[in-house]
Amino acid sequence: MGGAERSARKRRQQQSAAVRAVSQARGGGGPSRKTIVSAVAVVVLAVLVIGGVIWTNASKNATEGTTIAPHASSAALDTPDERRGATVVSGQASAKVKLDVWADFLCPYCAQLQQRFGSQIEDQIQAGNVQVTYHMIPLLNNRSDPPGYSLDSGNAALCAADQGKFTPFHDSLFASQPEEGKRGYDNAQLVKLGQDLGITAPQFASCVNAGTYDQQLNDALTTISQNPDFQGTPTVMHDGSVVNWTQDGWLTSLVNQAG
Amino acid sequence: MFRPSPSVLDAVGTLVRLGLAAVWLVSGFAKISDSGQTYLAVKAYDVLPDALLHPVATALPLLELALGAFLLLGLATRRVGVASAVLLAVFIAGVAQSWARGLTIDCGCFGGGGQVEAGQTQYPQEIARDVGFLVLACWLIVRPATRFALDRWLHAGAPQVETEKERI
Repeated sequence: MGGAERSARKRRQQQSAAVRAVSQARGGGGPSRKTIVSAVAVVVLAVLVIGGVIWTNASKNATEGTTIAPHASSAALDTPDERRGATVVSGQASAKVKLDVWADFLCPYCAQLQQRFGSQIEDQIQAGNVQVTYHMIPLLNNRSDPPGYSLDSGNAALCAADQGKFTPFHDSLFASQPEEGKRGYDNAQLVKLGQDLGITAPQFASCVNAGTYDQQLNDALTTISQNPDFQGTPTVMHDGSVVNWTQDGWLTSLVNQAG
Repeated sequence: MFRPSPSVLDAVGTLVRLGLAAVWLVSGFAKISDSGQTYLAVKAYDVLPDALLHPVATALPLLELALGAFLLLGLATRRVGVASAVLLAVFIAGVAQSWARGLTIDCGCFGGGGQVEAGQTQYPQEIARDVGFLVLACWLIVRPATRFALDRWLHAGAPQVETEKERI
């Protein structure tokens, strides 16, 4: 195509554009209205989609880049040898009431149990009345997006137990619980929490990152799922029978009954 | 046979259009404002591969809001009616397959959703409701002409717009 030909075509296009503009200004002609409305619709749609995706991702990834607030607890609740396989035992062996708690760090009712009765339980442990065996099981492992938070956090809590820091780690994770269906915390955030709670041993980070206890936790989940008494998380058992923890005063009455 | 006048049909069509717009806007808003639950609701249908859960759970509320906005404005009414009907058919198929496979889920149609107890499912009601919405969409496909619609303004000339303005 020659240069003259091109400029002639350009001129024609400009002329027809001018004609269109004039007819638009006069308020006549369907196609021009259609063009304007289509353009506006496309822009509005693009804003809605881009804004919506950004907003949704922001709300789903709210935990990204945050620090889990460390939640201190009494040092008397933890011992260096508190981890027993995939469980953690807190309290004296001589305690009259022995409880088993199955929970998942992603489970909202577990956070409710912790919020309502966590400090009562810890007080009773400290008083020597209660011994608790914590079973942190990855029941809701595929209910975070991306999946895996239940297992990662359960493993990290056992790694913290190896450093004698299970209780504050456990309490901190429940106090800052991520929402189901959203992003949990990644290993780096879990390691940072341990360090903020005073863990200095380098083994802690390697334990968290390696998923050292993943297999044991999955096995524990399989085992408890076969127990007909197990009703999901949280399940609280006393001497092998399920305790209704939603009733106020269940813990005090257990301790009183044990005399 | 009694045949309603075009103006009556236009008025009914307007109600249909605005009704369906309300359905999409309410359901889309409920879904986008609880993105975690929407993800779990999509997951509970157990149809999509894991890689598609996040994109679909993000896109679905936006699609519903867009359909609602177009219907509210009365823009491209017939096409939006077709898109609505297709989406509703997908929803009905999703609920039906959950029912047929014996899953126990809530449809999450207006927010919520996910796994529920065995006795808590409401599959017949959910399907009936979606079929009702599907009827609205079909009306707009068959007869997209409605009042207070951008479509009408687009296809009309300038004088008509002026008379409409005068009426307001």
